[in-house]
Amino acid sequence: MDPDENRAQPSIRDSYLGRSRSEAHQTAPGVIASLIGPAAFIYVAFTLYPVLRTVWNSLHTVRAGGLTDWVGIGNYSEVLTHDPFFWNAVGNTVIFTVVSTVLDVAGGLLLALCLFAKIPFARLLRVVWFTPVLISYVVVGIIWAWVFDYDWGPLNMVLRGFGLDALTRSWLGDPRWALWAVMAAHVWKWLGFNMIIFLAALYALPGEVLGAAELDYCGWFAKTIYVIVPMLRPTIANLLALSFIGKMMVFDLIWIMTRGGPLWSTETVSTYVYKRAFDWNSFSLGYPSAIAVVWCVIILAFVVAMNLLLRRSKPLEF
Amino acid sequence: MSFEIRKYAFGRMPRYVGSPDGGGVHLLAAVGGPRFRARRLPLMIFVLLYTILAGGPLVWVAMMSIRTTPEILDNPYALPSIIHWEKFASAWIDSNYGTYFWNSIMAVAGAVCLLTMIGAMAAHCLARYRFRGAGLVRFAILSGMVLPPQLLILSLFQILIGYGLYNSLTGLILVYVSSQLGMTLYILEGFFAQIPQDLFDAARMDGYGDMDIFLRITIPVGLPAIITTMMLNLVILWNEFLFAVVLLTDDDKRTLPLGTMHFIGGHQLDIGMVATGLMIAIVPVLLLYAFFSETMIRGMTAGALR
Repeated sequence: MDPDENRAQPSIRDSYLGRSRSEAHQTAPGVIASLIGPAAFIYVAFTLYPVLRTVWNSLHTVRAGGLTDWVGIGNYSEVLTHDPFFWNAVGNTVIFTVVSTVLDVAGGLLLALCLFAKIPFARLLRVVWFTPVLISYVVVGIIWAWVFDYDWGPLNMVLRGFGLDALTRSWLGDPRWALWAVMAAHVWKWLGFNMIIFLAALYALPGEVLGAAELDYCGWFAKTIYVIVPMLRPTIANLLALSFIGKMMVFDLIWIMTRGGPLWSTETVSTYVYKRAFDWNSFSLGYPSAIAVVWCVIILAFVVAMNLLLRRSKPLEF
Repeated sequence: MSFEIRKYAFGRMPRYVGSPDGGGVHLLAAVGGPRFRARRLPLMIFVLLYTILAGGPLVWVAMMSIRTTPEILDNPYALPSIIHWEKFASAWIDSNYGTYFWNSIMAVAGAVCLLTMIGAMAAHCLARYRFRGAGLVRFAILSGMVLPPQLLILSLFQILIGYGLYNSLTGLILVYVSSQLGMTLYILEGFFAQIPQDLFDAARMDGYGDMDIFLRITIPVGLPAIITTMMLNLVILWNEFLFAVVLLTDDDKRTLPLGTMHFIGGHQLDIGMVATGLMIAIVPVLLLYAFFSETMIRGMTAGALR
């Protein structure tokens, strides 16, 4: 059904009376202004103006006391050519985003398939598995910092229990492992979200197709790979896009668990922006603004590309 | 739909297919029959392990929250022997958690009320009236959903100082409203646009004014969508960290996520009390979830499910 079907359109009665919808309503501009006004005001004052101000800042050096010096694209050329910390942060963010997106979507699909297989207590498990989505990053970060604790964290305890003492380490203190540890916590929080969406999509699949596959002696594995997954392709694509965009902005969990350390091994673009703006002594909002603008342009380009890609692939879907 | 699938899995299966136990070659029969089958064992083990992984950390923290730090250091995984409820009172009073809690309540309640009113009005306007610039307004507000918060936060810090709203809950509430406005409008407008136009025409014939129509038709009919967005905003804002950490500095203005971070900064080794603080932050959400789990699941996934 076209969701716009019921939008205000000239009705049959109106066309019979020979008047357009707006005449039929005789809507005073005041009514529209008072309905949309508050939202427009909030948007202009707290979204549009800050965005423009950030862009303006990015072209200046903003010093304490509100003094500004025009530097043109100086901040941008420094970000793009002279800042190894920025490129390190980009690298970490890309690794984080790609790996955790794939894990999140694949894991969510796996969990949804488990529940779809009519296991006992499926309804209860669905509610339990979704719980981490509701927990704040602060709480998730602190809990997982404990899970990864060297001395008494459950992960190392389990490893020691299996006699794998060689594998135990201070997960968040080791530059080679910290990023993966934070990623695990992030995936843990969001798996349930993807699971719910996949489950809804699974229940919306045409039962006849699944039944036909069974009549053709299709095994459960073959059926999952060749029947269910292809039919879920639009959902998979949407979730990949959604998750990818969300993870490119990752800040909270990393800031809480590692603050970008150790040795910049978990520094992402967002934490770097925050550090340059509020943590380093060289207080200038200009340079971090330039980084934020660059990153925003990349994200928006990605959103547009995803939209075009998804729209184009739609006619090919089942 | 699930009935359909079940029918094919158990009902319509031809007699001659497979072995007497149902064959074990059918996905739903193999892993989902009403009776236990050996084939399902690996699946059930996986399900059990994941349930422990998903719920275990929360149960662990809940247990630590009613044990003292010396007890935890003695054995981090033991069940509580004596239940120390007094730790909650101590966190609430001595560690300022009471203040953090009320600040969170004020910020979230204020922002959710404002968002619901402003968002519903704007959504009603965009769904029901055609006017010049409607497309631009919709595009502008919805584009707020994909802006990285870092882009806003840098100058919001400056701007709120200019507005005289820096380091105040009022400023934080207004920023929260703007940050969630796009998603709220997206969900509400989608729902409001599906309310049959005939309902509005009939109301108009009965002499309803524009405000009557909004208050007495759109709001009651759109209530499920409004509750959905309220749940979504409630959870997201209760957990919000980045805006609060930049825009609030006074200890007596901190919200719960900030208060928790502040507390752990000073009491890193007092694991028991930190766990108590974590429970204070998550219990309200978990209580709500226990009673309204389906509504909350629908709310959290509403943006992605449309």
